[in-house]
Amino acid sequence: MSRFFRRRKFCRFSAEGAAAIDYKDLETLKGYVTETGKIVPSRITGTKAKYQRQLSTAIKRARYVALLPYTDAHK
Amino acid sequence: MRHYEVVFLVHPDQSEQVASMIERYTGSITEAGGAIHRLEDWGRRHLAYPIQKIHKAHYVLMNIECDNETLAELNNTFRFNDAVIRSMVIRTKDAVTEMSPIKAAESRQDRRDERPARREDEASAPAAPAATETEEAAPAADSAE
Repeated sequence: MSRFFRRRKFCRFSAEGAAAIDYKDLETLKGYVTETGKIVPSRITGTKAKYQRQLSTAIKRARYVALLPYTDAHK
Repeated sequence: MRHYEVVFLVHPDQSEQVASMIERYTGSITEAGGAIHRLEDWGRRHLAYPIQKIHKAHYVLMNIECDNETLAELNNTFRFNDAVIRSMVIRTKDAVTEMSPIKAAESRQDRRDERPARREDEASAPAAPAATETEEAAPAADSAE
């Protein structure tokens, strides 16, 4: 039994029934990267596997075209 | 014929060339029997990290339908054009025509800005107000650097 009450994790994408995750949708993607620019694991965010896969490719694409940073140590 | 999404980043010093570049690419695509379904010019945006010691770039997004040869040719021109600092081509299932989230955010920003001030700037320096907008649009990218 956990000592703290933890808010139930839920997958935002499957709740909304999202068709696809767009790499250009920075507002959404920013919610799934850490301050250092890492992709947050689904075990933390509760994202369903299907969407976590889409999310990771979307983030990697956004990084390639310099819409998102790879790390906070750039420059 | 397949659908592709193309993004390319142009060197900010070569920003003036963008219009002619787009014209050239659309010309070669339509000539080969392809189609342009979406064409967006995001203007000069702040990069999330420097590329070739450049901090800003002019982004262009195109959703096109073309055959293999045309795409190969397009890729080739990107590679040998020094003004293009980066390009990405993604295969898409269908033609995408709705406004992209980035462009949508940009136009929202436009509406929030006071209109008369922008009108004055547009005649003299069209690039300058666009540059400041993109900075405002991506505060997280700024702080990350």
